[in-house]
Parts: sequence; C-alpha cells; structure tokens
Amino acid sequence: MFQINPLTRKKLARFRSIKRGYWSFLILVSLYLLSLAGELFVNNRALLVSYNNEIFFPIYGEQMSGKDFGLDYEYEVDYRELKRKFDHDGSGNWVIMPMVPFGPYEMDYSDEEATGFSPPNLNKGHFCGTDKTERDVLARLLYGFRIAMTFAIGYLILTYLIAIAAGSLMGYLGGKSDMLGLRFVEIWANVPFLYMVIILVSVMPGGWGVGWQVSSLLIIMVMFSWTGMTYYIRASVYKEKSRDYIAAARVIGASPVRIIFKHLLPNVVSTLVTFAPFTIAAAISSITALDFLGYGLPPPTPSWGELLKQGVSNLRTAPWIVISTVTALVFTLTLVTFIGEAVREAFDPKKFSTYE
Amino acid sequence: MKKLKHLNTFIVITAVIFFSSCENPKLKPPRENVNQDNKEQAGVDGIDREFARELAREFGREFAIEFARQLKGSNNPVNFDFSKDSNNTQSIEGHIVKEGKVHPLLTHCSEDVLEFYQKHPDCFSILSADSLPEDLKWQDGSGEQEFASQNARRGGTWEVYMRDFPRTLRTIGPDANGAFRSYLLDYNVISLVHPHPNSDGYYPGLANSWAVGKDGRTVYFRLDPDAQYSDGKKVKVSDFFFFFYFMRSKHIQAPWYNDFYGKDKFQKVTLYDQETFSITFYKAKPDVVERVAIRAKPEHFYKELDGEFLSKYQWNPEPTTGAYVALAENVDKGKSVTLIRQKDWWADQKRFFRYRFNPEKIRVSVVRDYNKAFEVFLKGGVDMFGLAKTEFWYDKLPDNHKLVQNGYLSKVTFFNQTPPPSYALRINSQKPPLNDLNLRKGFHHAMNFDLVLEKIFRGDFVRMNTVADGYGGRSHPTIKAREFSIEKAVAYFAKGGFSERGGDGILVNSKGQRLSIELLTGYRHFEDVLVVLKEQAKKAGLELKLKVLEPTAAWKAANEKNHQVIFSAFNSFVELFPRFWEPYHSDNAYQEIGDSKFNEDGSLKSNLTTKVSTNNFTQTAVREIDHLINKYRDEEDLGKITEMAHQLSQMIHDHAVWVPAWKKPWLRIGHWNWIKFPEDWGPKETRDYEEFQVFWIDETEKDKILQAMEKGEVLKDNPTIRIYEKYKDN
Repeated sequence: MFQINPLTRKKLARFRSIKRGYWSFLILVSLYLLSLAGELFVNNRALLVSYNNEIFFPIYGEQMSGKDFGLDYEYEVDYRELKRKFDHDGSGNWVIMPMVPFGPYEMDYSDEEATGFSPPNLNKGHFCGTDKTERDVLARLLYGFRIAMTFAIGYLILTYLIAIAAGSLMGYLGGKSDMLGLRFVEIWANVPFLYMVIILVSVMPGGWGVGWQVSSLLIIMVMFSWTGMTYYIRASVYKEKSRDYIAAARVIGASPVRIIFKHLLPNVVSTLVTFAPFTIAAAISSITALDFLGYGLPPPTPSWGELLKQGVSNLRTAPWIVISTVTALVFTLTLVTFIGEAVREAFDPKKFSTYE
Repeated sequence: MKKLKHLNTFIVITAVIFFSSCENPKLKPPRENVNQDNKEQAGVDGIDREFARELAREFGREFAIEFARQLKGSNNPVNFDFSKDSNNTQSIEGHIVKEGKVHPLLTHCSEDVLEFYQKHPDCFSILSADSLPEDLKWQDGSGEQEFASQNARRGGTWEVYMRDFPRTLRTIGPDANGAFRSYLLDYNVISLVHPHPNSDGYYPGLANSWAVGKDGRTVYFRLDPDAQYSDGKKVKVSDFFFFFYFMRSKHIQAPWYNDFYGKDKFQKVTLYDQETFSITFYKAKPDVVERVAIRAKPEHFYKELDGEFLSKYQWNPEPTTGAYVALAENVDKGKSVTLIRQKDWWADQKRFFRYRFNPEKIRVSVVRDYNKAFEVFLKGGVDMFGLAKTEFWYDKLPDNHKLVQNGYLSKVTFFNQTPPPSYALRINSQKPPLNDLNLRKGFHHAMNFDLVLEKIFRGDFVRMNTVADGYGGRSHPTIKAREFSIEKAVAYFAKGGFSERGGDGILVNSKGQRLSIELLTGYRHFEDVLVVLKEQAKKAGLELKLKVLEPTAAWKAANEKNHQVIFSAFNSFVELFPRFWEPYHSDNAYQEIGDSKFNEDGSLKSNLTTKVSTNNFTQTAVREIDHLINKYRDEEDLGKITEMAHQLSQMIHDHAVWVPAWKKPWLRIGHWNWIKFPEDWGPKETRDYEEFQVFWIDETEKDKILQAMEKGEVLKDNPTIRIYEKYKDN
C-alpha cells in the first residue's frame, strides 16, 4: 500500500549512516532471527542421530521415545545419555548435540550431587550455570529472549493498530467524535496499568494452555496501554489534515478511507516509527517486571523476570543468574535504545521537513 | 420541616431512654416479662436499638440523657438498682434475673448482655454451689512435669520481625488474623487449661483445677483466685458467660467465630459460685477438656458490643491475661509494635509459667521482604530466623558461614512431634477425566515426589503417607504413599483409556483427548516443586498445566470446586485424633443432605448441586466413607476412634484423591547465641520456635558477642551446630 517515496528513502539512508543505531539494529535483528532458530543451538534434543544406518533429525518433529533407539523406556529419549552410550559401545551409531545441549525446561539432575544452583561449568555445557531446579540459565535466557521479543513485537503491532485507528478517526473526523473519543482515552489512560494487569492476570482462567495464557496476557497489556500513542497520532493527523494536499484530495473527490490511508498515514508514519523502538523497550521491561512480580507468563515458561527474581533472592549464593540476566537485559535494552535514537535522528523533521 | 423536628425529638427521647437505662450498669433491665409493671420500660424493647444509638451519637449522648431527664422531670428515671439488695440472693438462685433482681454474680452486666443471657436460658444458667456433682475427680496437672528451664533469666528485648504492619490490634474481626496476632494471642494469652506439650495431660491456666463430668461432655473449672487481667481486674466466672456473648455477636464481624463458638457445639455454661463454673460440649470426646478450654473475655473492658466495635477497638487492645501487654503508646505505626512484660504478672510464679515468657520486651518490627529480613537477622537486628527452607539452611547460612564458625550464631535442628500441615495434591474427583479411579491412581504414580524430596529439599523432608499423619496411634501405621513409577502410572492410564502416546509424548485416548490436567496452586514459593513434578510427569505421558495464582484467588477457585487438582495445605492443630468430616464427607461436596445423593447401588445421582466453600477440595462423595465418618464423629471411645481412623485413612487411600506430599519432622532455626534455650531446646509438640517461649536472653552474652564481632574474635564456648533428637520419630 505504501510506496517508499524519495523522502522516506532519504530517511532510511540517513538511518543507515548513523552507524551506532544501524549496527544495533542489525545485531538485534540477527539475534532475534537466531533465537527463532534457537533449537538448533540450544536444545536437549540432538541435531542429528545416526542409528542403525538411519539418520534422524529429532529437533523439529515428534518426540522420539527411548524405545526408538533401543532403550528400555517409552518417554522421550535422553540424547546426552544416548550420545555417551553410542560413544562407548562402538556400534558405529553417533549423536551430534547442539552447542548447548540443554533445553529450557529440562532439569539436569544427571549429577548425583546436583541440588540446584550449579555454577557455570564449561565442561558440562552449562555456560551460565543453572537455576534452582538445575535448568540451564543460558537456555532459559535464549528462549526467554525469544518470547520477550515476540511478545514485544506483538505488543507493538497491536497497540499501534488500535492507536492508529482511534487516533486517525479522532483527528480526521474531529468535532464531537474527537471530543468524546479524547475524553474516553483520557479516562482509560488513567486506569492504573500495572494494577489492572495484576488483577486480571490473577483471576484469568488457565484452562487453555500456555499459548492462550501468553496471548491473553498480551491482550490485557495492550488493552491498558494503547492510549499513549493515540494522542500523537491524533495530533499528527490533525496537523496534516489542514494541509493543502488533503484539501486538494478532498476536492477531487477522494473518499475519507482513501485520504486516511493514502495521504494521511504515510505522513504521520514518521511519528510512529520514532516511537517504535521505545515501545519495544517498554514492552520488554513490562513483561520482565510482571514476571518478576509473578504475574506474567505461567511457569515454567522461560522468562527473564523469573530468572531475575531467582537471581535477586539468591544474590550471594548464585550470582551467575543475576549477572547473566542483567547483562542480557541491559544489552538488549541498550541496543533498542540506540536504534531508537538513530531512528529519531533520521526522521527528525528539522532535517527533512514535510512542510513544503 | 416541622415533621422532621418531631421525628428528631422522638428519636432523641427513645435513644435517651435506652441509654439512660444502660448508662449505669446497676440499672438492671426489667425486660421480657421480668417487670410487667413498668410499661414504659417494656416499650423500649420495640425500638431499633442500632438506630437509636446511631442517632444518640449524632446528637451527643450527654445532652440526650440530660434532655430525657428533664423531659421526665426526674433525675433518676429508672430505678432498678437491686445490687444493694443482696440479702435476697437466695430467692433468685438458678435464675439470671428473677422478679426484677439480677443474680449477684451478674450484677455488673450491662443490659444488652443480660438480655442476651436471658434470651438463651438453655445456654446460660446459674446454679447453687451445692448442686455441683459430688463425685467429681478434680485434676490440677500436678503430676505433669514443667517444661521450661530453671536456668532461665528475665530481661532483655527480644527482636522479631513481621512482614506487614498489623492493620489492627483487635484479635478478632476483619483484618485481625495477621501474623502479628500470634504475639497478642497465641503466644501470650492464658486459657483455662492448656494441653501439656510433652504428654497427653493438661496443665492449669486460668483454672487451677478441672474435672470432667459423668456425661463426658461437661467440664468443671475452678478459677485460680490470682488470675487477673493486665489492668488489674480479676478474672471472673461471668467472663466466661461474656465470652459467648462476645463470640456470638454479629458486631465482631467474624462469622467463623460466631459459628465455631455457636450453640451447636458449646451447649451450656453454668456458674456455681465465684470460682466454679462448667462448660458443656455437644459431645463426649476424649479430648473434651482442651476443646472447651477457652480464654477469658474481659467483660469490664467491653461491657457490651455495638456497631462501633471495630472502630472502637481498632488500636485499643483488650487487657490480657498473658505476660505481655501491647499499649497504644508502644505502637510506632508502620514500623514496630513493642510488647512489654507486666511487672506483676499474676502467673509469674505459677508452676508452668515461671520460667517462661522471659524477655522484658518483645519488639516486633516490620521488614517487608523475606530476604531482607534474613539480611537483618545476619546483622543482629532480629534474634531468630526460621531456616526450614533448604537454600537458607545450606546455601545462605551454611555451616561454614563466618558468623556460625566464629561462634556468634547457632544453627539448630529440633525434631518435634506434631501433626504436619497437610501438603498434598488434592484431586477433584468429580471433574473429568480424574473422576476415573484408574486415572487417579495413575496420577499418583506419576508424581515424582521422591525426586522433589531428594533434590529440592535435599533429603531433609520426608514423604507424608496418609491423610492423617502425626496423630500418634490414630495415624495408620502401614499405609505408604504411592511411589513414583512410570510403569504403574502408564498401566493405570491405559486402564483408564489413555494408551497411545501423541507426537509430544503425552498420552491420548481413543477420542483423541490428551491426558492434560491443570494443577492449581496459590503457593508461588513452591513453584519449583511443581515444575519438577511437571517435567517428571511427562515421562509417564501426563501433561500438567501449572496455574499459579495469588493465594486468595487460588483459594477461591478451589472453594468453588472449579479446580482439577490443587496443591495446598491445611494447617493441622495439635489434636488427639484427625478430622474427616470437613474434607471427606459428601455433605461437604454436595448440597443434598445425607444419603439422598446416592442411588441404591451407591453411585452418585446426576444433577447434584455442588456445595461451595467447604474443605472438601477432593469432592469426595462415597456412601461408605460417609457412614463411617458419621459413626466416627459419634464415637466416644478412643479405641474405636483409633480403629475407625485407620479404616478411614485406608478408604481414602483406596479412593486415591489425595496425593500426600511431604512433612518435615523438625524445626530448623538460626539464632544469635545470646538467646539461650533449655536443655532439650523445647517441648515435644513445639510447632514454632516462638510458641512456648521457653528461651531467654543473656544480656551479658549479647554484649560479649557484639564486642567480639567488632574485634573479629572467635568465641568457642558453645557448639553452634546443634541437633536435638530426643523426640525424633524412628
């Protein structure tokens, strides 16, 4: 629907020229893409198994039981154990494990002595140590990152959709609908966000599985935080609406829908884009905060907030949890902030005014 | 407007008449046919007292009374003072009020209170001392051993913490049941008689002797003549009348207490003389003495209750019979409450109290965060800290911690013997798919509590086995909790129709339903336990969906019986035998009463109405269990009670609705070494290190330790890691 006009192209070029922001953007995007394929790097399932001259690729697909590989149990095969067995029995079978051979949910009680909070151990593959129930901290960080980012992107899209719809309507229609709409937004914005989320999450029925719980948390959060952007959209639309090109469009008989989508939105998009990185940062912080307080994602979903909580309550005895989580959190949020700054600078109307 | 004025006058008059009659406690109420002559007074009965009171408050009581007096042209509008008329007591013997005369034991009572007694003549009666049964075997606990140490010394300030500032200093009513109440009530106030924590006997409290009547349900008490409240007033027998007036009052806004101390259970209180009275329980129980051993309610303090109760006593604590007093001036709002030991406490030299309650002051300060409280403890700001949690015991205060090694802090394990809190997974046996017995049994075998005990609790906790562990002989001796066994679980699940594994390893039945169960809990701090159970249950093809809610939200869901499985615990009291009716009787599962909910073959009828807000979280409704529980509740012989308790434990085990989790057979605490304990550390039934207050503070030791800490010296006087195994259950 949108064509990249020369002005936007210039803005993008300017963004690219701001090295710090551009590189941050590349790093963050590649990290996210990597995390989407995280199973290939951090997983308790093997990358490849060769068993009786047959090659298996168990990561994506149905769970394979111990019996499938000649073991005596029906539940999911322990690939690390299998690897040890194949390495020793000389049968010619082999297993290739991912770099970090632990899943985010799996408790590594293979060590008899292990009772939680094992410090980082390069030999065993726990690069960032383990948490209270011997789950790999790195695995939980990675999958926690994936969930937080996905969540943040979903949050961004949803809040913007609502904010754009409400803001454009108020701005474009003006008059009473603007007045009423704005009052509604003001009232709604005064509902305390955190309390509402906490209340709703604590009474939410949980019968429909983790996916449902995550999306309902998303919906609840969006419900109470879309208002902020509405003001900006409304103001931008108001501003643009009174420009001559809109009047011209109206004169030649363009429908309101066409005017909004074809003429107004491309011109207010710069407002949206400058806010986007900060919205992402806000979303990551809120989901982490909620998890920290215990109102976020249902256990045992890997999450940074939950790790932080464990870390803080075991600050002295298991510092590796808090160190790795805080590092990851600060790193991610810094990247996002750099991107945000760069975007803001690139879209700065003082450089490329649309006022002509 | 004019009309309104008249109305006001009317209301003021009625209010005034009401108040003038109860202003002076000596003005006794001529009501309910007591004084038919006084028509004017009888008329007051027809008025809504609450309303009258409200309005009198509005207009000012003094003014209102004066107004009424002038209106009636007399300074003493009602004259029913018969307290001076004491020669006449014989004639009113056996009655609370007879011919307008109040029994001398009750002359101080307010009108409202007397009226309450009169309304329930079957509950409150006064008999002459001659009518006491003669063959009573009075007991005074003299055969019991003291459990405190003679080495105890008085003095010092005991520093403790609470998580939240108390919202009130009342011990009853809304917001009163916070953690702070224990310092006012449970650890402090003296009851009539106390169960001895080292034996099955009792030791005297407010009553210096007691006797169980022939009927087995009436207990006679003789008050200790020394017993008094902290304001110097004596404890009177009538305070035990008043106790029930208080506990049954709607003004205290405590329905649980209203019910618990209701007429159904506490059927009668009889006063004999100034020291002797009896309480009749509804049933002859072997432990009837402790069931009726209530505390005294200071009638002189409350006089009567009204709609202002909550606000009036919000920060105005009642005088106590216990050693420690909370005074309003020692409340630092939001920060701390300091309790002061009474200088001339009446029980100071009594045999079972004399070496207890040793600190001069108890300062209860607010530390909102548990981990922060621990840090405060390590700095010496809190004297003792519970170390039951594994990570605190092993990781945060390990044996080689500097404070322990240097001899400043001790780590104590004390093996006790009490019914443990009933940590268990409670399966709602009416919710599919777990309404199938095979699936429930499979569920039991799929719960890897062994791993939880080994890894999360590092082998310090032990598995609970029956629904009634910790009741001595009443606990079933041989039942064992079903062990974690993938083979058995899978076999049971197959019997229940779930025999194929889906692509994710979870079992599915022929209809394609997955074996997925929601596990609800309100215990966020046990999340890790549930996570281990969840991961292990996957091996047996069972998916657990964890739902961790706020405690109140989880409780509500379970009360509405909306859960599939809930992980929860009920606190158990030190009782002689366990309770089965609340959690397992079908009357607590469905609203239909008794056998009407069963078909002839014993199966449940359809379309029954679930009963909410009961403790039957398992929705157990089995006719045979019902019948046995009914018999059990009626039984009075301990031998038969024991036998039936065993049968019931077995039946509930077979019904497989309750997956026992764990119990800890010990108390573990860390304490600064200036806190000293008796040789055995504490009595057998200690549930809480604060409970019996047998420790004391050695102030010289405190100075010594603080100095040593400053200089970094090592003190080697005491072993700092101590285990007390005297009461260890083998």
